[in-house]
Amino acid sequence: MTVFYQLAVTTALALAVVTGAITYFRRIRTPRPPVGLFNGRDIFLMMGFVLALPYVYLALPGATLPVVLALVFAGGLSVGYTPVIANGRLRWTLIVLLIASVLVFHLAFGETAAPYWVANSCVVGLVVVSATNLNVQGGMRLGNVAWFLLALAVYDAFFAWVVPLTEELADAVQGYPYAPAAGLRIGEDLGAVVGMGDLLAYALFTTAAYKAYGKAGLTTGLALVTLFGAVAPVAALHLITAVTGHAPALIPAQVFFGPAAFIGYVLLRRRGPERRMVELPPLERATAVVPA
Amino acid sequence: MLETSVRQVRVALAMVLGRRLNVRAVERLVADALLTLQEFGSLGDDVDELADGPFADPDERRDLQNRALQRTVRRLAKRSPFYRERLAGTDLDALTTETLTSIPVTRKADLIERPADFLCSSPYLVTQTTGTTGRPVQIWLSRYEMELWPALIALSVVLRGDIRPGDRMQINLSSRATAAVQEDVEVCRLVGASCHVVGQVPPEESVEHLLGQADGIRPTLLTGNPSYLARLVTAARSLGCRPDEFGLRSIYAGGEVMSRALTEALRDTFGAETVGDNFGMTELLPVGGRTCSRRHLHIDPNQGYTEVLDLDTGEPAGPGRLGELTVTPYYPYRECMPVLRYNTGDVVRTLDGEADCELAAVPAVSQILGKAGQIHRTADGVVTPRDIVEVLDGTPGLPFPLRHRAGVQGDGRLHVEVASRELSAAEVTKLLLAHDIDARVTVLPLDDEEAARRFPLRCDLLERTFTTRSHA
Repeated sequence: MTVFYQLAVTTALALAVVTGAITYFRRIRTPRPPVGLFNGRDIFLMMGFVLALPYVYLALPGATLPVVLALVFAGGLSVGYTPVIANGRLRWTLIVLLIASVLVFHLAFGETAAPYWVANSCVVGLVVVSATNLNVQGGMRLGNVAWFLLALAVYDAFFAWVVPLTEELADAVQGYPYAPAAGLRIGEDLGAVVGMGDLLAYALFTTAAYKAYGKAGLTTGLALVTLFGAVAPVAALHLITAVTGHAPALIPAQVFFGPAAFIGYVLLRRRGPERRMVELPPLERATAVVPA
Repeated sequence: MLETSVRQVRVALAMVLGRRLNVRAVERLVADALLTLQEFGSLGDDVDELADGPFADPDERRDLQNRALQRTVRRLAKRSPFYRERLAGTDLDALTTETLTSIPVTRKADLIERPADFLCSSPYLVTQTTGTTGRPVQIWLSRYEMELWPALIALSVVLRGDIRPGDRMQINLSSRATAAVQEDVEVCRLVGASCHVVGQVPPEESVEHLLGQADGIRPTLLTGNPSYLARLVTAARSLGCRPDEFGLRSIYAGGEVMSRALTEALRDTFGAETVGDNFGMTELLPVGGRTCSRRHLHIDPNQGYTEVLDLDTGEPAGPGRLGELTVTPYYPYRECMPVLRYNTGDVVRTLDGEADCELAAVPAVSQILGKAGQIHRTADGVVTPRDIVEVLDGTPGLPFPLRHRAGVQGDGRLHVEVASRELSAAEVTKLLLAHDIDARVTVLPLDDEEAARRFPLRCDLLERTFTTRSHA
């Protein structure tokens, strides 16, 4: 029962976020600076950021971390959804309500309750959709994403199995609202959680693949996310538990998804050069960015 | 993207703080802009603000201008023997745009008489003005300046979409315009365009190049002085060329008065969408100006301070008054042979109110009306060289370029001499009178060579070639 529950929840979450990112990509254009697009050096900078961020989080005093995360989420939502809700007052009202709902549900029902996880998952999912589009619509190429994910796989394995930084971070947010993860818990037995970084990896890869190679990229992305982002980590969790008799605290999903995504990129690359933003078909529904 | 942002901040900080700009960083920004265009097909939001600089707000502009002026004069007083003398006793730290008028203007004669006393850093290249409007002056430029200016111009033209990768620019400037030619060549390199330095060769040859007859590539951009471009119009028309035979998108002119008629003739003859009339002087580079659709001259306030000094009083001209353009390029844009309050001798009229054009955020004056020494004070009022050119240029019987001279006679009446083998004095008089210019007209039926000798223009700095074709 647990296996199927985890498979269902993990797959649903991963595909929901990916679908959200693709829908956003097809319908909305994010504002961009006059000059500049993502390049290989930016990926290095991003990787450095990914390396440093957990240490910064862990260095913060306990109760400060959720405050920082809430502010980061609010900022991310505001930047990403300006093109969707141009009216600044309305946008911020909705963001505050959404962020507040997480806190209220956490205080009212506790950190393992379904309402808290639904609200938190909504916030995390929306932030991932916005971050994905800011990056991909900022010119990030599938090649950049593939290399980034490969590096992330190494990072994930190292900090899960050699230096248990990821576990420490998971422990640090334990008991506080605004966990950087999406999931759903029902009662004491059923629970499935996917890290925000993992969701971002799935959304980035699929959206960049769709941008670069259209339908073929989208199909490849969805298949890889389902198989290596959802099924493989859950299967591995239960396989390890069955073999060792102990359930591991976490499974570094990028260990499965990173290499698979890289191979997917190599295969897609055979189709020719990646599409550029200028070569994309017109938006499905024009959305004008009107400053509030 | 993050890298580009860092580079932008770095360049912006140097501009605001008045430090030497990192030329490589500016060049990389040009490359970033080109990559952005390649990916998105257009530049991002707020590109106009990036192109025109942070000077939209008048208060902010005044503050930055005061700081830039103080920085510039402090350096001049320290490094230039000429300005050390001139600025003695001036409180440099308290200098503002209002008190700047206490410093005498610098004239071309000063540069001719004491060129070495203007040097503030190691020179790399000397360029000499053509001398069409008087004695030529030698201007020394540093290596930094020769690298920085094209980078800044390239960034500006890419942001404005004036030059694109794949363009080909035909440069029909005199080879003596070293700085301008070098700048255009470098700008093309940075933008990924190609260029053909043709020079002021016989116009028929230039037209052949424009048609792509030599290598099959038709230029998309053309740059030259108005009088030479006028000769190209005449040559193209006499060769029976049609506009669709050319691949020109834009034509950029500068250095002489360009009339509406010539602008239209260039557009009609060569099929160019844009015909730009730009302002620039070797002495003042990289400060320059552009003409908008309402025919105002907008001078870039980011790199220098522009004044219009009343022709009669020498004080800042009031609204709607005639005055001489006086420009101070700021450090760190000009460092080798900088000038302070340089009197260009070019007469403009200040606008009577705010500009209401597409370049309204950039300060504006009228187009250049002529040189101060050529302003005609007749008994009926002031007549500028542009007034005459605008009336006569493009008139049937007066081929491009217009060859003429004007002066005021003892009785206070304007006397205009025109070279034409087709029009009579009465016809020209009537034309001028229709535009409220009362003049005594003499028409000289001269051949082209004699007309050029009597009424020289920049196009007469013709460069001979060893082609078999015989051109006049």
